[in-house]
Amino acid sequence: MTQRLVLGACVVLLAAAGLTWWRQQGAPEPLALTPTLTGEVEYCLTCHADLAQISASHPVESYGCVICHGGERLALDADLAHSSMRGGKNPSDLSVAEQSCGGADCHSGPVEEWRNQIERVKSSIMATYAGAIAQARYTFGAQPDLTPLFGMRAVQDTTLPSLTEIYTLEEFNPGAEAIPELPTFAEDCLNCHLWAEPRLGGAYTRFTGCAACHTPPSSTQAQNAAGTHTLTTAIPYTQCNTCHYRGSYAVQTLTFTERPTHPVSRLLDYYPEEKQIALCELTLDCIDCHTHIETMGCGDIHPDQFSIDHLCNACHGTLYDLPLTRTLSDPTEIAFRFAALNPVIDLQLGDTILVSEHRNQPMWNIRLLPDGTYELFGKASGERFVFRAVKGSGCQQSMEQQAAQYCHECHAIGP
Amino acid sequence: MPSGPNMTSLSRRDFLRLSSRALLAVSGLLGSGALWRFLSHPTEPPVQTEFDVGPAENYPPGSRTLRPEVPAVVLHGEAGFSALSLVCPHLGCTVEQTAAGFACPCHGSTFAAGGEVLRGPAGAALRSLHIEQNPEGHLVIHTQ
Repeated sequence: MTQRLVLGACVVLLAAAGLTWWRQQGAPEPLALTPTLTGEVEYCLTCHADLAQISASHPVESYGCVICHGGERLALDADLAHSSMRGGKNPSDLSVAEQSCGGADCHSGPVEEWRNQIERVKSSIMATYAGAIAQARYTFGAQPDLTPLFGMRAVQDTTLPSLTEIYTLEEFNPGAEAIPELPTFAEDCLNCHLWAEPRLGGAYTRFTGCAACHTPPSSTQAQNAAGTHTLTTAIPYTQCNTCHYRGSYAVQTLTFTERPTHPVSRLLDYYPEEKQIALCELTLDCIDCHTHIETMGCGDIHPDQFSIDHLCNACHGTLYDLPLTRTLSDPTEIAFRFAALNPVIDLQLGDTILVSEHRNQPMWNIRLLPDGTYELFGKASGERFVFRAVKGSGCQQSMEQQAAQYCHECHAIGP
Repeated sequence: MPSGPNMTSLSRRDFLRLSSRALLAVSGLLGSGALWRFLSHPTEPPVQTEFDVGPAENYPPGSRTLRPEVPAVVLHGEAGFSALSLVCPHLGCTVEQTAAGFACPCHGSTFAAGGEVLRGPAGAALRSLHIEQNPEGHLVIHTQ
């Protein structure tokens, strides 16, 4: 009996050895990479060597894969290697972005506040959706005014003092609302913010978190493919379009009417019919004017997008004042950093660039020319545009009417 | 012709016993081999820290020679040979040589020709590497 058991074990051992040998014959030769940043070997490139570099700022030779994605760096079995990845295919989901993208040398907790992007994004209007929630609750009588009380997640302003004097938001829980319309609102309308998976449909396909904006599909991919291995600060308007102007909301009925197709013509399909637009809104990308502080948050919790909205006078000034500018005299000025990351303009010490009214942020892609006009370089397109200030022109606009709607009365274009 | 005693004595029972022992021996050898391979498998391949960058005469006085395989630049100055790491101390990217010195293509740090930081985000100079001449007259760079 014992002998039979021993023999059986031998046969099993031989079969296992044969099976292992056979599997190893079919396995790819391990491809090791030791990133300079970690100094720890990883075998991810064994299967992923054909992936494009994610960005010029994150070369795989320096960063490797694991520092951002997690995973088992020494595993050669796909399931095991992927078993501990952060955020699945998207390590920048806001639930894991701190581990994937954070760190004082990276995107959270640095000495310079402007680089504390992850914390700022979490309290930004695109992540909290505080304005829309407050609007809906106010409309249906769940709160007495438009003061934002809730966000998609509970957040706290960590950068006191706060200009908006909104210090915390509680997490919005539609199920706990007594008013029956609010859960419907949550279901229909709360899929735009950065924590949320997008609606179904090609026009809305995007990732969550940082990649919602910074990972647009490449030009060689179908427009609805949110799968590209890219991180960029050159974000085209089409990526903003996955949330903005993707349809129309009716707060009264809590309905959302999607645009049926991906826009083909920006003039005819992109903006809602009722919206007036100026030429710059047709030819530029959103980020050409909207600064990183406007889009990713400034650290303060804002009640709605209008409190950080960019006005025409940021670039064009008013009848009496030229737009705000700053002459670059310090080589460590962050404008140079931005220009190095997205080299569409050859900024030099001594150049005068525009700065935004909101927190005095450099609009580093817009430079004053000797003749008093301004040149703007498209951050995504690289195209050069020249424009002039209102001051000294024939414009007769009142100083009290600086919102875009008043400029559009004369400068709107149409089909 | 009479058959040999050994041939006739190998009964079925003996044959099976012999076969099972052979199977046991092969299994034992395979198992031991597999165990040895498992225990001795280098999951972490050794990281190269010494680089022979060739004969010293290939580096004439006053020369600055890039060695991308290290990556480093070998300098032959008045005080002899020296080497600077081309790994950016900020986040490990490989810096590129420019007219003014070196620049990091990842985040824009710039360094003087001697490795000193001219502009951040890097907070430290390029690291000096130990370089020596071996008995064969070759220069050897040590990265650790």
